[in-house]
Amino acid sequence: MKQKLTQAEKREQRWAYLMIAPTILGLLILNYYPLLDTIRLSFSKTQTFGKSTFNGIENYITMFSTPEFWKATLNTIWFCVLTVPVGMAVALLVALLLNAKVRFKSGFRAIYFLPMVVAPAAVAMVWRWMFNGQYGIINTILGRQVNWLTDPSTALIACAIVAIWSAVGYDAVLLLSGLQNISRTYYEAADIDGASKIRQFFSITLPMISPTLFVTLIMRMMASLKVYDLIYMMIDTSNPVLPDVQSLMYLFYREAFVAGNKGYAAAICMWTILLIGLVTIIQFIGQKKWVNYDV
Amino acid sequence: MKNEQSLRRSMLIGKLLTYLFLIAGSIVMIFPFVWMILTSLKTLAESMQVPPTIFPARAVLENFTYAITSLPFVNLYINTILLIFFRVLCAVVFSSMAGYAFAKLNFRFKNLLFSLILIQMMMPSQIFTIPQYQMLAKFSLTNSIFALVFPGLVSAFGTFFLRQSYMGIPDEIGEAACLDGCNQWQTFTKVMAPLTGASVAALTVFTAVFAYADLMWPLVVNTDITMMTLSSGLATLKGQFTTNYPVLMAGSLLAMIPMLVLYLIFQKQFVEGISMTGGK
Amino acid sequence: MRKIASILALVLVAALAFSFTGCGSKSSDGTITMQIWDTAQRDGMQALADAYHEINPDVTVEIQVTSWDEYWTKLEAAATSNTLPDVFWMHTNYILQYADNGMLADLSGLYDEEDPNFYTSHYSEVSLSNAQGSDGKIYGVPKDKDTVGLVYNKEMFDAAGVAYPDSTWTWDDLVSASAAIYEATGKYGYMAYADDQLGYWNFVYQNGGYILNEDKTAAGFDQPATIEAMKFYIGLQDNEWCPDQVYFAETAPGNAFFSGQGAMFLEGDWNIMSEMKNYPDMQGKWDVAVLPACPNPASGDGRATISNGLCYATSANNQNNETVLDFLRFLGSEEGQRIQGESGAAIPAYIGLEDTWVSAFDQFDYDLNVEAFIEMFDYSVQSVNDKSRPNWKSKITDELLKIYGGTVDIDTGLANMNTIINDAIAEAAA
Repeated sequence: MKQKLTQAEKREQRWAYLMIAPTILGLLILNYYPLLDTIRLSFSKTQTFGKSTFNGIENYITMFSTPEFWKATLNTIWFCVLTVPVGMAVALLVALLLNAKVRFKSGFRAIYFLPMVVAPAAVAMVWRWMFNGQYGIINTILGRQVNWLTDPSTALIACAIVAIWSAVGYDAVLLLSGLQNISRTYYEAADIDGASKIRQFFSITLPMISPTLFVTLIMRMMASLKVYDLIYMMIDTSNPVLPDVQSLMYLFYREAFVAGNKGYAAAICMWTILLIGLVTIIQFIGQKKWVNYDV
Repeated sequence: MKNEQSLRRSMLIGKLLTYLFLIAGSIVMIFPFVWMILTSLKTLAESMQVPPTIFPARAVLENFTYAITSLPFVNLYINTILLIFFRVLCAVVFSSMAGYAFAKLNFRFKNLLFSLILIQMMMPSQIFTIPQYQMLAKFSLTNSIFALVFPGLVSAFGTFFLRQSYMGIPDEIGEAACLDGCNQWQTFTKVMAPLTGASVAALTVFTAVFAYADLMWPLVVNTDITMMTLSSGLATLKGQFTTNYPVLMAGSLLAMIPMLVLYLIFQKQFVEGISMTGGK
Repeated sequence: MRKIASILALVLVAALAFSFTGCGSKSSDGTITMQIWDTAQRDGMQALADAYHEINPDVTVEIQVTSWDEYWTKLEAAATSNTLPDVFWMHTNYILQYADNGMLADLSGLYDEEDPNFYTSHYSEVSLSNAQGSDGKIYGVPKDKDTVGLVYNKEMFDAAGVAYPDSTWTWDDLVSASAAIYEATGKYGYMAYADDQLGYWNFVYQNGGYILNEDKTAAGFDQPATIEAMKFYIGLQDNEWCPDQVYFAETAPGNAFFSGQGAMFLEGDWNIMSEMKNYPDMQGKWDVAVLPACPNPASGDGRATISNGLCYATSANNQNNETVLDFLRFLGSEEGQRIQGESGAAIPAYIGLEDTWVSAFDQFDYDLNVEAFIEMFDYSVQSVNDKSRPNWKSKITDELLKIYGGTVDIDTGLANMNTIINDAIAEAAA
């Protein structure tokens, strides 16, 4: 590494730094400075108006001994488990069907991608209304009385359904672009060999879109572990079910912005980042087993 | 002979199942919108009848009047469009540059710097809110379009995403096209960047959707309702009308319409732009 | 080359567009920014700004409205980074936190030149205590004062053959009327839900109990009178005629009332004007009464209503900023308070101007008994606050919801609430 760079290499390096400069600078100011501040706060006892004193790992000790925190961690993981596999499967199915030769293809596409153009606040409102235990249409359709958003056993599931509904189009777009990269000739060859459609899916389609699937999966995982907005808009703070559905970032919001415990909230945030990092690393290791890069 | 018949039959069943799935799925996807429209035309009392009525007894338009008088929709539309435009512009320009450099150029600390990009993607955006607000407040830049755009000036996700697509372009293309006298910038703008059209289209869509979805930031950084975006404007409507769903649904519909129109006009380009990578 | 040029051009355009739109809130000499959280009062505040501009043509006041939750997030961030707006509304939930931490200018001497006793002669004790810091100094010019009243559906009372609520009503009447209405119409009676100011606080003080003791050093959830009132209030949801907390988690009581699902709920005067306007179909079908009294209070006469009040405050940095101080002086003057009252949004804190708010309701054909809200000032109780309230407020709500949800029994829950507040007080004192 300590070798002398040639003139051309030096020039290349200069261009490279110029080209990454805006992004790196932006990230440092916009994101890394706040991150460092969060790290500092997580080791501090905070008071209102920015006053804080170092108190070691006190916040972390409090955090790990609070049942509410562990419940929030479990809720977050549970939400991820509820949304990611089902969401990915549905998105893949939609992408496959939309990639097949069907009539009214553009019409169907328009419908499936529709939730993307709706403000999330509007999405949450209409679903909240449909899930309403007293006056909601979903109970009418099902013909039974379920308190979807106020029963601890269903509230997070209801949130997961909304999450999947709004993300399907988004994920399907990504997967569709992967599917369209697969050359027709593979399938033609397989047809001649008499391979069934199902076999073709597992031996051609799946390996070929695995890189796209992987990127989509990573993105969806990260988003679901960071979930806050959706649950916040579906479940009010006056809802007794809140402890059973609040995610880590919801807890962070309530501690930092409502109760004013910035230090404790910062510790929660560090834990969330750690959790996401861990899950991401596991995925990057795991991908070697199933993601196919040499096509 | 027999074999062919069964093959045709199984294909027919396959087609049938495909349509069945697509249509059932479409109903699920579209039903909330239908319900939104139907609810927005009911009175509060009717919306809370048990069992619910499907169609409003008498279509009332007052809910739309309340929503319009409570929110300055024209401002919200303009702000949202400006926000999306600048966020997309910044994300595409800066991320293309950085993505290209990370994919194709050699420089010291490359891995370290790239890990900055990856780690940023793991951070929850809530921790940025207060520090970023304070930066803007220090320079009296709150309450402006710039303030809305601020957190999205650069995009870690965009850099990561476009790096992937530059990685997919063989090195030889760049080398062959600019045999002599071409600097890195020219190789980038003339040869490489145009090849990432599909990914840029996808990034455009994602950035736009993210920007559009951003709920809390506009509420914090811009004090005035006339400087809000549609998403945060709707949140204030909810603050005012709590669980008066007919008004909330009317507001949601009004917020949706321009995006919907744009989407329906451009949806062909949008989907095909993303899927264009085929045959590469 | 054309590509580069076009990209550069675009960036340039972007930069220009930024700089043009980026000059939003620069506070130059002649501009005062005033930050508020209630959209419904925007017009009233604008009227004040215009009136002041009329007198002082070289000063322009800019009104900025932020929704409640973000208002406090932002105000704290602004206070921390020393960028508070020139004038802003202060709420009893927060005033002690801000005042005691030295964030607000001391306005005790604001009117010294014209009348050293200005505050005490024009504002009630409750109003002034809502604007004071723990040191007794005045950190905000009183803006308005409010009370909580009983809103009821006349048609449902008629259908059940029950007389309308009046000043002779007690808790017993509230219960028996609710039962009768449920019996006759199948609609809910009094809708009692987990809320402090619009709920249990009123009942606690009517029964002679308290949430915080006089000198704000201890919580009162261990007091027999408080416990008795809490049990009565929470127990209301055990009746068939009252929806449970699960219902209220999805349906706001106001919406339930104005859609004809229930006969009564407690409402603050500041919401009445917009409810008249937002539910034109309901006009004439409902009215307002004073709160029912506790029939056998542990102490006192059984009457109480929670009275809160906002005030206008400014940053400690503006202690000597005559431009800002003069505007504040105007806001607290008779004229400033009159303009506010006539807008109908809130009852002016200035004694003797209550009628300006009442007369704002003359615009409606139906004569609503809004005087009930004014009448209750005679026995109003200051809204509960102490320096640590922002820290315990949400935790108390959580605990209360556990009691409602049955995960904690009521005695344990109240004991927990007591501990939460006492811990927060100790924490804030440390």
